[in-house]
Amino acid sequence: MNNYQLTITVDDKQVVLERILQVTRYRGFLINGINAVVNTGTNIGTIELMVYSERPIELLIDQINKLIDIKDVCVTKNIPYTPNA
Amino acid sequence: MASDQKHTGGSLLFAVLQEHGVKHVFGYPGGAIMPIYDALYDSDVEHYLCRHEQGAAFAAVGYARASDKVGVCMATSGPGATNLITGLADALADSIPIVAITGQVPTAAMGSDAFQEIDVFGLSLACTKHSFQVTDINDLAGVLHQAFAIALEGRQGPVLVDIPKDIQMAEINCSLDDLSQLPNKVKLPPVDVTQAISLLSQAKKPILYVGGGVGMANAIDELREFCDKTGMPCVSTLKGLGAISPENENYLGMLGMHGTKASNLAVQESDLLVVVGARFDDRVTGKLDEFAPNAKVIHFDIDTAEINKRRKADSAILGDLKINLPALAIPLSITEWQKQCQANKAEFAWRYDHPGENIYAPAVLKEISDTMPKNTCVTTDVGQHQMWAAQHMLFNDPSDWLTSGGMGTMGFGLPAAIGAQVSRPTDCVIAVSGDGSFMMNVQELATIKRFQLPVKILLIDNAKLGMVRQWQDLFFNGRLSETDLSDNPDFIMLANAFDIKAKEISKKSEVTAAIAEMLDHDGPYLLKIKIDAEDNVWPLVPPNTANDKMMESI
Ligand SMILES: Cc1ncc(C[n+]2csc(CCOP(=O)(O)OP(=O)(O)O)c2C)c(N)n1
Ligand SMILES: [Mg+2]
Repeated sequence: MNNYQLTITVDDKQVVLERILQVTRYRGFLINGINAVVNTGTNIGTIELMVYSERPIELLIDQINKLIDIKDVCVTKNIPYTPNA
Repeated sequence: MASDQKHTGGSLLFAVLQEHGVKHVFGYPGGAIMPIYDALYDSDVEHYLCRHEQGAAFAAVGYARASDKVGVCMATSGPGATNLITGLADALADSIPIVAITGQVPTAAMGSDAFQEIDVFGLSLACTKHSFQVTDINDLAGVLHQAFAIALEGRQGPVLVDIPKDIQMAEINCSLDDLSQLPNKVKLPPVDVTQAISLLSQAKKPILYVGGGVGMANAIDELREFCDKTGMPCVSTLKGLGAISPENENYLGMLGMHGTKASNLAVQESDLLVVVGARFDDRVTGKLDEFAPNAKVIHFDIDTAEINKRRKADSAILGDLKINLPALAIPLSITEWQKQCQANKAEFAWRYDHPGENIYAPAVLKEISDTMPKNTCVTTDVGQHQMWAAQHMLFNDPSDWLTSGGMGTMGFGLPAAIGAQVSRPTDCVIAVSGDGSFMMNVQELATIKRFQLPVKILLIDNAKLGMVRQWQDLFFNGRLSETDLSDNPDFIMLANAFDIKAKEISKKSEVTAAIAEMLDHDGPYLLKIKIDAEDNVWPLVPPNTANDKMMESI
C-alpha cells in the first residue's frame, strides 16, 4: 500500500471533479484527502488529491490524463505506507 | 458566408448534425425531448424509430461500426435515457464513436425529482468517453461540435449530450459557418522506433497480435503491408477480425479463450509480441502471468493508458498506426518459425466432418461465409453462436464484422444489423443470433418491418442459453441452472407477424438450399436452424488457465 499526492490542473468545466473522483475509485485508488481551488480569473482549477492503493500510480495518472478537461497531472509526493501506530 | 439564422435549440441541433454530415438518427420520442422531435418534423435528417432506446443505441453503434461515420441516437429523459445506457457502455468498451442526445426536464425543474427526471449526466460518467449537459442555449452549437470531435479523436468513444427542455425551446440567432477545429487533446510524445527495430530484428519467433484499433485507425492497408514485408505469423482478437487478409498464409486465426489452437500455441511460444491496437483483454490472455511467458512486447496504441496496463511493454509506440506501422515494416528472417506456424495451422485446421444428420452450426457458418456476397456485413449476438461465427467466418474488413466484444452484450445483433443496413443500404447484412439473445431486442423486428430493411437473420436455435449451459456442464458439475429455453416461442410465426419471411431447418441436407434461399431473397428473412443443445464451442481455455492448456472436447 502506497500513499501519493497528485496535483491535477484542470479547466474548470462541468463535473470535472466528479469525473476525477469516479475514475480514481474505479481504477482502485482510495482517497484520504482532497483540496480543490479554482482561479476564477483563468478558470483553471488545481486539485490536490491524496490517494492510496497497491496499484502503481502510473495507472491512475494515465486514466486521469485521458479525461477531456484535464490539463496536467503529476505526483507531488510519494509516501511509502507506514501502518498507523 | 452564412448569415445569422433564427433557431430554436431543437432546430439548431439538426442544423449542427447536418453540418457534421449526419443523415440518419435512431431514436424514440417522449415528453422531455418533444421540442427536438418537433424540430425533426421540419428537418432533412432521417429518423429511424426503433422500438426500445437500447435498440436505438445499438443501431447507432452498428451504423458507426459498419461505416466510418458517427452514429447518433436520441431518447427522452428518465427511462428513455436509462434505456440508452447499455448501448453507451457497449460503445465505450469497443471504442465506438456515437453521439447520444437525451432530453432532460426543464432547467428550473432539475434537481427536484421531477417527473421522468434522472441524473443521466451523473450516470454517463461511467459509461461514456465524455458528456455534456447544456444549460445555456448559447453553448449548444459549441457543445455539439465538441461532442463530435471528442467521439472521433484519439481512441474513439461515445459522447452524451443532455439537453433540458427549455434549452430545446429557447430561441437564438446564430450563424453556422464556424465548424472550428478544436484543439486536439491527445498529445503524444514523438515516436522513437530504434528500440523496437532492434527487438524486431533479434526476434526468432515473433507474433503479430492485431486488435480492433487497426480498423478504428483505418490502417488496414498499412497493416497488410506490414504483414507482407515482415512475413510475421499473425493472430487477431475478436474485434480485430477482418484486419488481416484472410488469404495471408501466416494468419493463424483468433487467439484467446476460443481461439484457434495454432494461434494460442504460437503466441505462447513466441519470443516477441508485436501488439497493434489491442489491450491484453482477459478473454485474450487467459492467465495473465502465463500469457506468452517468454515474449518481449512492442505495443502500438493511440491510448497511453493501455500501455503497461496489463502487460509491460518493452517498447511503446504511441500514435497513429497509419504513420507508425510502416516505420517498423522490415523484412525478417524467420523462415523456420513461419514453417512451424503454418504446419500447426494445417494440422489443427477446422474440421467439418461432424457425424449424424443434425445441423452443425460451424459448418453452416462456414458455408455462409463462403457463399455470401462480397462486402457482406455480419453482426452477431453473444454466446456460442458468436464464437462459432468468429471462428468459422472470414472477413475482409473489420467493418464487415460487428460483434459486441468488450461488453459482450446479448441483444446487440439485431439492432446493430439495422444500423449497418441503414449505413450500407446496398450491402448484404446478416445478423447471426441465438435463441436467447434474439429475444433481448426482438421488438426491433418492427423497425425492420417499417423500413423494409432487407436484413437476413440466421437464428441458431439450441433451445438453450448455450454458452452458459456449456460452462455449467464443464465447470459447475452439469447443474443446468436457468439455461433451458425449450419453451421458446414459434420464431417462424413471430417473424411472420412482422411480415418477415421465415424458414426453419433441422437437417444437414437442407442447409445449402436454405442458405441460397435466404441470400437470394430481396427483403428481410429469418432462417432458423435447429441444432443440438449439447454442442459445445471448442477449443476453450478454461478460466484462469494458460492459453496452451485449452480443452478440445469433453
Ligand atoms: C445482456 C446479457 N445478459 C447476460 C449475458 C450472459 N450470457 C452470455 S452468453 C449467454 C447465453 C446466450 O444464449 P443464446 O443467445 O441462445 O446463444 P447461444 O450461446 O445459445 O448460442 C448469456 C446468458 C450476456 N452476455 N448479456
Ligand atoms: Mg441458444
